[in-house]
Amino acid sequence: MKAKIQVLLCKCCTEQPALLDVEKLKKLAEESNNVLSVLTVAGACDGKDLSGVTADAKLKEIDRAVVLACHKKDINPALFKAYRRAGVSEFLVDIVNIREEAILPHRDEPARAQTKAETMLKAALARSAMLSPLSKQSEEMKTRNVVIVGAGASGQAAAHEAAKAGVHTILLEKTGKTLQAPGVIMTHAQLIGGSGYGGNFELKIKAGEKVEELGAAAVVVATGGGWTTLKGLLAKAVKDARPLYKFYEQMQAGNTPAGPIIVVDTPDPAGKTLKVQDYAWDDTLETVIELKKRHPTVEVYVVFQEMRAFGLSELAYKQAAEMGVKFIRYDKSGMPKVDPKDPTTIIVKDFSHGELLRLKIGTLVFASIPPNEDNKAIADALRIPMSTDGSIRRGSIQRWPVTTPKPGVFVCGSALFPKSRDVAIEEGRAAGAMAGEFVRRGKIEFGGVVAQVTQEKCSACLTCVRTCPYEAPFIGTASKAEIKVQACQGCGMCVGICPSKAIELHNFTDDQIMEATRVLLGGDF
Amino acid sequence: MAERRPKIVGFCCERHGMDAVVLSAQSGKQMDASVRLVQVPCTGRVDGIHLLKAFEDGADAVFVLGCLEKNCYYDTGSIEGRKRVDYVKQMLAEVGIEKERLEMFNAASSNAWMFPGIVAKMVEVAKKLGPIGGGDGH
Repeated sequence: MKAKIQVLLCKCCTEQPALLDVEKLKKLAEESNNVLSVLTVAGACDGKDLSGVTADAKLKEIDRAVVLACHKKDINPALFKAYRRAGVSEFLVDIVNIREEAILPHRDEPARAQTKAETMLKAALARSAMLSPLSKQSEEMKTRNVVIVGAGASGQAAAHEAAKAGVHTILLEKTGKTLQAPGVIMTHAQLIGGSGYGGNFELKIKAGEKVEELGAAAVVVATGGGWTTLKGLLAKAVKDARPLYKFYEQMQAGNTPAGPIIVVDTPDPAGKTLKVQDYAWDDTLETVIELKKRHPTVEVYVVFQEMRAFGLSELAYKQAAEMGVKFIRYDKSGMPKVDPKDPTTIIVKDFSHGELLRLKIGTLVFASIPPNEDNKAIADALRIPMSTDGSIRRGSIQRWPVTTPKPGVFVCGSALFPKSRDVAIEEGRAAGAMAGEFVRRGKIEFGGVVAQVTQEKCSACLTCVRTCPYEAPFIGTASKAEIKVQACQGCGMCVGICPSKAIELHNFTDDQIMEATRVLLGGDF
Repeated sequence: MAERRPKIVGFCCERHGMDAVVLSAQSGKQMDASVRLVQVPCTGRVDGIHLLKAFEDGADAVFVLGCLEKNCYYDTGSIEGRKRVDYVKQMLAEVGIEKERLEMFNAASSNAWMFPGIVAKMVEVAKKLGPIGGGDGH
């Protein structure tokens, strides 16, 4: 079957820098094989006046399109809708980024930029003719449950926020503490296993003595920090060292702490297990101010590598300093360590004066929280990645601060890294809102650019099963690999690694990639 | 005839890699025009044959640009990509092609300064080593 291609030139991208000879590009497109019509639009990014595009596509019965414009993300979704009205699926609309690949970076060499743009057009036309029409499918979610693992500050905030979306929230709490939150609260409950994908999880939950199965559409991980474990050299050397939260609780209960009180940022200053920037400084400052108010005479030292009291916490920093709290900054050249001769003394080199200070230890407090030990079991159950330090890893700091790489699993609070209560609550609200929104849709969409196995070629070597981060490939009933389309994210990792070349990724097949390379190398620029 | 222009192919992931390229262009960075970018969904998709075929089709240097290894959009994609590149490097050495002609890079989407540097580096390699096999490149 012959491809019928429409070429669309975006004026905003091609003409504004006035480097390209657009007429030449147009002529080239018109003369190419398979091209039925060449159109220009004022701007693919504003999504206006696209009725002409639809009408022309319908008239000439085109079945695919090549758009010369800018970055794919900057193209208005209205353009894809316009093509859909004409019966062209979004997977057959190929966007060529000539603005950022050919025009902007080569201002000084218009001739080369012109040839480059022409070659890119040729490559796109060659690739476009090889694309196959794809479609997306959808599946109903079986339940509307949002399971929140951990009922700490961020977990409760997530439950409140998710409930606003009208979904059913289930809070799992390891201990038996009583709390107020919407939905079901399961105490003495732990997540121990699970299977499935975003939208339809099957979780195994150990509640008390019995193990229950629970369907869930989304999961929020809010495990918090590892309150029970303190690792690191300082924690080992000093008996009775405690984390900040415990110290705070004792202080609230009215126990007079033995002075002098030394707050160190981490129990493991030389190690890489905890990140320096991540300490809960807000809470540290709050605690020392409270302490000074209760016991004005006690000596308080805060030993830190970097103070991150941002925003209004600056005022707390100032207030604490005015109340007589001594702040000591150290760096790599003089890590705090316990005096080998006298275990009740800590030695630290002050970064500002360069002098060695010897501080008598009354009570040693650590501002940081180690990662929760349950994270491992939860990450295994949900198949989400962990950081090297043992906390849950998020998808991307910039784009999805509370999302894991696995769709439908969200993470918040100190499960990511130690942080102050306020930040943890905000993150919990964000994660809860996202989980609620995810479940409220009621169905998941999948398909499109996904991998497919040619079963005759498959030798069931399990390479794809081990490689996929989303657990999409599995060995089916025919003892050959199959792809669970709902879980496939379309990265093509299994395709590249398959030793039998049995898997292919729709619209990124070997032929299409190599053809594009060949045509691009054919141009002389 | 003017000086022979090197041909460089870059396999670039659609995610952070492409974002870095676009950001560098938008921030007005200028670079050599001889780079041909081929988009792949993830650098894990890059197969040995794509890289070898690019050399066969006349590329002087090939690079693969993906996300940072600890912040990859597809979790382990750029790690797989690097494994693939390292493997093909060995193969290149076996057939007598300089290993430096193939390189893997990682960029975060905000690293606008990375891409011009990568292009400059690959152009330098291509110019230094000349056409593959020392001939006129054909």
